[in-house]
Amino acid sequence: MGPSLRRHNLNIQAVKMAIKQRKAIIFAISIATAVVLILWKPTVLIYGLQAAGLYAAVAIPMGLVLGIVHIVNLSHGEFMMLASYATYTVCRALGVDPLIALIPAALVTALFGWVVFQLTIRRALKAPELNQLILTFGLAIAFSQIINLIFTSQTYKLSLEYSSMSLDIGDLSFGVWSFVFVAVAVIYAVGLQMFLTKTRTGKAALAVGQNPKGAAIVGIDVYRTYGLVFALAIGLVGAMGALFLTKSAIFPGVGSPFTMKSFSLVAMAGIGNIPGILGASVLLGLAENFLRSFRGTRDWAEIVYFVLIIAVILSRSLKGKKS
Amino acid sequence: MNRTLVRILLILIAVAAVALPAFAGDYPLQVARNIMLYMALAISWDMLLRSGQISFGIAGLFGIGAYAAILGVVRAGMPTWLSIPFAAVFAALVAFLIGFVILRLRAMYFSIVTLALGEIFRIIVHNLHDFTGGPEGVVMQQGVMFGGNASKLYWLVLAGLLVAIAASYWFEKSRIHFALTAIRNNEISAKSSGVDIFRWLLLAFVVTSAIQGMLGGIFVMSYGFAAPDVVFSADFTLLPLAMALLGGVYSTRGPIFGAILLGLVAEWLKLKIPYGHLVVYGIMIIIVILFMPQGLKNLLKPAAKRAEGRSA
Repeated sequence: MGPSLRRHNLNIQAVKMAIKQRKAIIFAISIATAVVLILWKPTVLIYGLQAAGLYAAVAIPMGLVLGIVHIVNLSHGEFMMLASYATYTVCRALGVDPLIALIPAALVTALFGWVVFQLTIRRALKAPELNQLILTFGLAIAFSQIINLIFTSQTYKLSLEYSSMSLDIGDLSFGVWSFVFVAVAVIYAVGLQMFLTKTRTGKAALAVGQNPKGAAIVGIDVYRTYGLVFALAIGLVGAMGALFLTKSAIFPGVGSPFTMKSFSLVAMAGIGNIPGILGASVLLGLAENFLRSFRGTRDWAEIVYFVLIIAVILSRSLKGKKS
Repeated sequence: MNRTLVRILLILIAVAAVALPAFAGDYPLQVARNIMLYMALAISWDMLLRSGQISFGIAGLFGIGAYAAILGVVRAGMPTWLSIPFAAVFAALVAFLIGFVILRLRAMYFSIVTLALGEIFRIIVHNLHDFTGGPEGVVMQQGVMFGGNASKLYWLVLAGLLVAIAASYWFEKSRIHFALTAIRNNEISAKSSGVDIFRWLLLAFVVTSAIQGMLGGIFVMSYGFAAPDVVFSADFTLLPLAMALLGGVYSTRGPIFGAILLGLVAEWLKLKIPYGHLVVYGIMIIIVILFMPQGLKNLLKPAAKRAEGRSA
């Protein structure tokens, strides 16, 4: 038993070394990429980071739901779309700025998310995974089609002065408002990390995510926690919906690409790894904007994340098979 | 109900289906064509589902078949009748190649990858301007198959549907049924009973993809036109899925019932509300998953048989 234990320890050390080495390599590569991009194509870096902020801020709530409630919510992007439409309607009716509506939008969508959870998803939690997938797929269709029914497929946009602000450095000119997404993404990642490790409710949620049966035994109300986490995630997406409206036009299908993008980012980071979503988003944002910056490859930028998601899922599953 | 009565009824339905063009006008024929197309797609989706794999990639393979057919005619001068089997073979080949990789995935990973692959196919077709015509698509110069004869086009779709039904019955009545059911219920015990899981999954994936590709070919030949946003439309994934779920999965009958019911309701709603009539599909999916996961086909069965099915 002695030698085998020692070998085991050695193995752990080797793995730790390997992880350290890999981290150092990833760090070096990202610094090098950043330097090259600043010198060669600064706009790719700027727009890539802005896009990454948007992707990450939408994906992080999905990562939270996947990590704790363990469902893939295929209506994730549609919740954002609903929040955008709700904010738009209110802003138009009352003449207020979407930024003022940000917090109310988050609260209302959180409540709506909680109701949807209680009415539908909760009932399917014990069903096979595929039922949950199809259920949330059905929710996505219902949401986007209801909006289609009310607002038709026309696009709506608010024209706001601050969202088209730009900055000039030398002969370089770029929009700065979208950096707000980067800030939100970082706030979400840090805030959630704090919530999950420092607060009582957060710790309970983490426990439920790791082992629902064990959590139930020590007296945590599992379903209540699921509902709260789902509502929290949808509230965060709702705030993003209001913020998204400041920058982009909205139409019934505007949310659905975000569902796929979010899922691919969460899968890339690994389920339960919220800070990893930030890194994955930067990779995706830079890759897309890099392709977009050349005339010949511009149309192919859209394909990046589909290829990326397949590559990530395949490599993970093959690695899983080996171990 | 005794067997002979069921047989007579089935024969009557079959005769009515074949003879429909004799007494129906252009509009009912058009509706019937649409419903049959989606019905066949729903059956093909269900066939793969019997192994426990949910594909969200119907539209992808449908679109591949559609483009294979129309490009075969327009670029290679293929006769129109040949382009439909060609579409089936081409889709089968694509499914065979990607199946080698993606059939090692399970559950949500398989579903998401099929969805992503469908999008990749669409973007590739969208971007190969010179070969596929890009976003504007391709038009067949010689016009629609059969010169647009409504009855013949109806029979073409009916033939496609019969192929799907025949394949589905083959899956139900042969040993494929046992293999796929074993895989769905418990892969480990299936494997230890000597079921070659990967081979059966590949067979099911290739056959269902061939059917979807063939239907894409039929669709494009009867409209004489293909564009990425039309043939890769999410509707071709969504509607069949909702139909099969509503009617009841793991059977041939379920998707047939579901398609007739949902197809007629949607057609009626389309006339009433032009935008957003698809909402009925979303709501239908939610209700079915939550309240009757067995679908409608069980409601039609006598109660005794239902109880028997539950204990089995």
